[in-house]
Amino acid sequence: MITDVFMRRQALILGTMSFIIIGVLWQLVVDFGIVNPFFISTPSAVWQELLVQLQDGSLLVNTAATLYSFALALGLAVVVGIGLGVLAGWFRDAEAALEPFIWFKYSAPTVAFYPLFVAWLGYGTPTIVAIAFLFALTPIYANTLSGIKNVDRDLKRVATSFGARPHDIFFRIALPGAVPVIVAGLRLGVGRALTGVVVAELFGANAGLGYSIAYYAQMLQTSRMMVPIVTVILLGVILTQALSYIEKRTEAWRVVHDN
Amino acid sequence: MAEIEIRNLGIDYRKPNSDEVFAAVDDISLSIAAGEFVSIVGSSGCGKSTLLLSVAGLVKIARGTITIGGRPVSGPGPDRAVVFQDASLLPWRTVLGNVRFGLEMQRWTGGDLTERAMSMIKLVGLARFADYHPHQLSGGMRQRVNIARALAVDPQVLLMDEPFGALDAQTREIMGGELLRIWEGDKKTALFVTHDIDEAIFLSDKVVVMGRNPGHIKEVIAIDLPRPRTQEILDTPQFTEYRRRLRAHLAADMAGMHFMEEAA
Repeated sequence: MITDVFMRRQALILGTMSFIIIGVLWQLVVDFGIVNPFFISTPSAVWQELLVQLQDGSLLVNTAATLYSFALALGLAVVVGIGLGVLAGWFRDAEAALEPFIWFKYSAPTVAFYPLFVAWLGYGTPTIVAIAFLFALTPIYANTLSGIKNVDRDLKRVATSFGARPHDIFFRIALPGAVPVIVAGLRLGVGRALTGVVVAELFGANAGLGYSIAYYAQMLQTSRMMVPIVTVILLGVILTQALSYIEKRTEAWRVVHDN
Repeated sequence: MAEIEIRNLGIDYRKPNSDEVFAAVDDISLSIAAGEFVSIVGSSGCGKSTLLLSVAGLVKIARGTITIGGRPVSGPGPDRAVVFQDASLLPWRTVLGNVRFGLEMQRWTGGDLTERAMSMIKLVGLARFADYHPHQLSGGMRQRVNIARALAVDPQVLLMDEPFGALDAQTREIMGGELLRIWEGDKKTALFVTHDIDEAIFLSDKVVVMGRNPGHIKEVIAIDLPRPRTQEILDTPQFTEYRRRLRAHLAADMAGMHFMEEAA
């Protein structure tokens, strides 16, 4: 236990150090004229811009817009993905019926549908939510499906031996047993929903971090552009870490076998 | 009257991914009296688990009949409970929750479920661990929960499929003694599958020796040792004699297997 804590702390220290070193290097290569700041800006310039965008409120507005689309898309993906996944995991016919769409979704890049969504929903939030929803849907659906479908045979047999009925097996064994797998799917879905929002915002929006990145990019203002990029990275890290934490807590629900 | 009556039982297996059907066990007849403790031994693949699971109502009977207290077996029933080799506990439930599980599935009406479960947990010596989750327990403790779960539904017949197979030798011996202590309490009819000869003799009134291809009964040996038994009995001449007889049986079976493998 003690070495465990020490190791974790050591990892944290090393990670922070390499992070700082990269930051310093980034600053130095520009200060010494090795790389043109137009391409990569500098940490100090990005910091300055961050303060500006915080003060004029634009960063907050853009972050809020992105999070709003993200929450809508993820919420939809969770409801639809878990709903369909449970259905397909429990009923073979439902799985067979849904299979072609899943193959389709796996093979075709979702962004390709972007113009179609613009035609249907116009530029802005509805299209962004639709794209991000499709991004997040697949892992949530696929994990829910496999979690329900691969219900532990031994537990099922025990339940059957005590006279369990199909709905008992579904609610008492299959559903709780699938929770760790579903949460793992959610973690993937969260990252993909955020990616979907930002990608869609790059193409057409009037607010949001993706929009902000595209806007400053067109203006060739690298330092300003770096602010929303860093914010997106930070959001991604926070959201994924939060889900990883929940995932670890459900890990104890995984079935262990003695032999 | 016999509690469990098996007559000319045959169970077929379908090879995975083919239509080929072969008999896992064939023409098995066996009578077990109420309150008798019967072990089934045999080399792997002799169908001893299949026989037990058929009494549990968990595999389809192809030929013959099984009756329990006169009623034919057609599926699982509240008159029987199974202790599987894998403890198969629900990881999201506590010890208490797991012992309650069988009662819940059977829609137990014999009183308060938690009270009933707790008394079984005390019986297997886990009172202090009622709130623990399975991953916090040792293999032996998990198997105690498994046994408590089966006993909780108060079955007429207790069916055990190599319940100590995954435990280390020492824990196994302790669990055998514990099982006898618990069983002596109300002497339920018990059917116990094992590949451990000592374990079979130590626990049983009768040891059924099975052979392979297809699974059949070679001999039923009555174990005439006084009860209650303790580990000291393992060193008595009678015990040694039973052990010798059973070993000879199984060795013959193993030699046959070896011969067949070489022929193939």
